[in-house]
Amino acid sequence: MPTDPVPQMMEAIRLWSGVTSPNQAAQRGLADLAALIAEFEAVRGTLVFEDEPSSFEAALREEAEKRA
Amino acid sequence: MSDLTNLSVTEAVDAFAKGEATAEAMVRASLARIDAHDGKVNSVIRLDRDAAIEAAAAQDKARAAGAKPGPLSGVPMMNKDMYYRAGKVSTCGSKIRKDFRPTVTATVLQKLDAAGAIDMGTLNMAEFAQNPTGHNGHFGDCHNPWDLAYCTGGSSSGSGAGVAARFFAAALGSDTGGSIRLPATICGVTGIKGTMTRVSRAGVMPLSFSMDNVGPLTRTARDAARIMTVISGKDPLDPTSAPEEVPDYEAALTGDIRGLSIAVPKEWFFDGADDVVVKGFEAALGVLKARGAKVDYVSCPSLHAVGTYVTVVSRVEAAAIHAQWMREHPGDYAIHLSGRLYAGYAIPGHYYVETLSRRGPLLRQFCKEAFAGHDIVATPTLRTRVPTLAETDIDASPDNWARHMVVSANTRPFNYLGIPTVSVPCGFDDRGLPMGLQLSARPFAEGRALQVADAYQRDTDWHARVPAL
Repeated sequence: MPTDPVPQMMEAIRLWSGVTSPNQAAQRGLADLAALIAEFEAVRGTLVFEDEPSSFEAALREEAEKRA
Repeated sequence: MSDLTNLSVTEAVDAFAKGEATAEAMVRASLARIDAHDGKVNSVIRLDRDAAIEAAAAQDKARAAGAKPGPLSGVPMMNKDMYYRAGKVSTCGSKIRKDFRPTVTATVLQKLDAAGAIDMGTLNMAEFAQNPTGHNGHFGDCHNPWDLAYCTGGSSSGSGAGVAARFFAAALGSDTGGSIRLPATICGVTGIKGTMTRVSRAGVMPLSFSMDNVGPLTRTARDAARIMTVISGKDPLDPTSAPEEVPDYEAALTGDIRGLSIAVPKEWFFDGADDVVVKGFEAALGVLKARGAKVDYVSCPSLHAVGTYVTVVSRVEAAAIHAQWMREHPGDYAIHLSGRLYAGYAIPGHYYVETLSRRGPLLRQFCKEAFAGHDIVATPTLRTRVPTLAETDIDASPDNWARHMVVSANTRPFNYLGIPTVSVPCGFDDRGLPMGLQLSARPFAEGRALQVADAYQRDTDWHARVPAL
């Protein structure tokens, strides 16, 4: 039988961040994360081992419009 | 001169420079219009009436003494209440910061001051800039000047509504997921977010370090170009600001777009789009084609990954920024905001790292898909008709969250991609609310996007229409 992940997530947030659920809407927000997990599953495997965050600023400059 | 509140930024500067209108007269006209109508719109948080009149009078005196006008001399402006001015309260649209008095002044405000703009005060906004509709329970919702039952778009709600209502000629907004372009399109004005890092963020409330942008909402693309030229550039106080040279963006506004090529992505931007929006968008493309631009529909498969990753960055970064307040007084946030922030703590660190790691490669891929052989990417700014305030009130019902995500669906991708994007008014829907055309260009090509926006506005008058208040 599947376990409701929301209580586990609430406990993890309390443990890691010291933040407790402020209201019912927050718990609803946790439940909605299932959609995000599914979206990440869909793009799994696209991250290349050598990719690193610092490449973004370099990409901005490389992709800039070349002046005539 | 008849109604000074009808002057655009560049018209106001010209009138001031020629002695046809004084700065004080323009400021007094703005204040009078705010007094007459803002009770309905609720765009203003703080009005610095006396200081504005005093600053305007000082400019008039300097001009009379022979001082050369600046690029924004005499222009009445107000700005989203998240740009710090030393000693003045900056609420950030929140209860938590209702008494916050910063000790620094934002670099962008200093640049506007130096250019001659008259700062009349601060504007309503979504709490901590974190919703796309402009709802604010602390200061009251801002209302759309075209129909008060409808939302303004957010988070720069007061900026969009106030410019549309002719309360002032221009306003700064900020854009992390569409917060300049959404109120621009929904209120029927022009807005631009530049390339990521193009404008300094020193002295500006942070929402998301990786995706926050500063930019103006104005009536015309020319006004936006004028202000972007003033505020862009490297700032020693913001180490992340780009060192690239800032061109005179107005110089690119020739009206000539013959031979320019426009790409329209087939993916993402039309999913669930309302027919009236698609028709309005296609009509706008027709205007650009008539001016000599070429339009192609292109496939951009990268957008699915972009759409996945973009929400993670701002949610995790906002959760980190707000962690201490979320521990100490979560009840001081609106229900929807504390709920949104809370979910950010559940997103694993490796998701965040993956999201940032994929950003550069996805930008390269998107540019290959969209900009190979094309100069501009065009989309509707908002894929649906403008929703009412009630339809999108997520404090009243969490079910309205899905509508929030739809509101910003077409703007968010360009924050992740970091490319400059303009929104211009392109008509009205069947309920009489504005629609917007979104134009994006390659990194650091703000001038290109503004060039096309300006060309479009030469053949249309949507941006010149005034709501009846």
